[in-house]
Amino acid sequence: MADKPIQGEKRMFMTGNEVCAYAALAAGADIMYGYPITPQNEIMHYWTRLAPKHNRTFLQTEDEISAGFTTCGGVLSGKRAFTATAGPGNTLMQEPMSMAEMMRIPAVFIIQQRGGPSTATVIYSQQEVTMTCYGANGEGLRIVYSTADHQELYDYTIKSFNTAWKYRFPTFVLGDGYQAKMRESLTIYDPELRGIQMVDTYPLVGLPGKAGADRDPAHLRNTYNTEEELYEVVKELVGAYEKFAPEIVEHKTVECDDAEVVILCHGIVSRAAVEAIRELRAEGVKAGMFRPITLRPFPTEPLRAVVQKAKKLLIVESAEGQFARLVLPSLYGLTTPLETIYKPGQGITSDEIVKKIKAMA
Amino acid sequence: MAKVVKIALAGEGGQGVQSVAEIITEAANEEGKEALYIPNFGVEQRGGVSIAFVQISDKEKVGSPKFEKADIVIALSDRAVRRCAQYVDGNTVFVYDTFIEGVEDDLPKGAKKVIGIPAIETAKNELHPRVFNIIIMGAVVRATHVVSEERAKQALEDKLGYKFEQDPKLRELNHRALARGMQLVEGHL
Repeated sequence: MADKPIQGEKRMFMTGNEVCAYAALAAGADIMYGYPITPQNEIMHYWTRLAPKHNRTFLQTEDEISAGFTTCGGVLSGKRAFTATAGPGNTLMQEPMSMAEMMRIPAVFIIQQRGGPSTATVIYSQQEVTMTCYGANGEGLRIVYSTADHQELYDYTIKSFNTAWKYRFPTFVLGDGYQAKMRESLTIYDPELRGIQMVDTYPLVGLPGKAGADRDPAHLRNTYNTEEELYEVVKELVGAYEKFAPEIVEHKTVECDDAEVVILCHGIVSRAAVEAIRELRAEGVKAGMFRPITLRPFPTEPLRAVVQKAKKLLIVESAEGQFARLVLPSLYGLTTPLETIYKPGQGITSDEIVKKIKAMA
Repeated sequence: MAKVVKIALAGEGGQGVQSVAEIITEAANEEGKEALYIPNFGVEQRGGVSIAFVQISDKEKVGSPKFEKADIVIALSDRAVRRCAQYVDGNTVFVYDTFIEGVEDDLPKGAKKVIGIPAIETAKNELHPRVFNIIIMGAVVRATHVVSEERAKQALEDKLGYKFEQDPKLRELNHRALARGMQLVEGHL
């Protein structure tokens, strides 16, 4: 095992991509597999700069399909492996991601969303929500953390390795182009100092002894012959996912106790929402925010508790309803009036939210 | 100035607006302020308008990385002048370079103040074209007070110190450029 690259605590001022590379290093990641695409390129660049100094490795593959599969391969061999991608790369990587769901491969994927569809913009969006949560064939048995700032990028990149290896489901850190490229302050730290013990990794294949004689076979399968066989396997996977979900879900609320209008948002948009709430509260408008940190699994129960007390809801996202499609099933049966701000591929400011909420009053 | 100072710096790719933004925000961070800087760019590597969005707050973390209206806009090319009109309102100080031709009609009408400074000319004739962006940095520092001159110099040292070691004249040139940039906006504020 490699040395301790991050000692103690340190205030830093850097880009989100740099943060991810440092966090992976602090988490004890052994190897990154990657293929360049904006806006996540610098995760690779920083990793390739940092990794050799700390006995870690990097492999650049020929495309994202390959980056995803090699990441799965690295994990199967017992390495704490990860990759990062965005946009069209995320699209290409769906195939290995769905294999990771089926075989419960604890791979870590960092996604820095850009605008879509297709090549679109290289800057920013929240338009990879549906794809990251439910892309590929299958049921979307993934864990997806949506981060809002650099501190969270650091915290959740570290955490994603533990979540992945503890529950053995592919785990995602869903950032975006703004988070990737902007610079702001954060505190980096040695996880152990904060009582975070990294979950041990282990090989899933090539185990010692003779399969069937000395030990059970690893029996990692991705292909099934009959409907019944597949049904049983998927039901088992879903069962495991649902069993762990209550331990995994995370959310954040701001001023929800007496809120009449509750803003529902995720990721970086929540920063504009928090600012809007500050302004609105100063003017006597009772606004609050509910923000899922895990988009998969989704924090349905706490959301319902908040929504039941509110008079109005406002969904705000930099996409055309992708986040709303995650939210709405959780609100089934409730009749709280709901409005939206949808801005696909565009940033959202507090001013817009303030204006909208005043208009809703 | 408001609690969070919002700055939009825009120019052609290669004019160095992104490095200015980087140096200023790092200086502010070193001073213990909360700073957020995000570059805005298109798919092209060269030849587009490059904008740096900078926000600096005394204490609290900055909200969303982009903003609607800036406290100060610095536009360094004709395209930048036109592209940045959307960030201007009655509280905005708009700074442009007087060397830019044909933008008289595009200068924002509703700004708090519109200031023309001869930064490109000053760089060319008095100092050196390569310190053009440091003149701009001086203008930003003086117009916003987001960092002190001393801290700005320290930030230059952090960023370019290795070059200054090889050629101490460069240090002096950069310091002069910074001071000159500050002077250029001085009389207008």
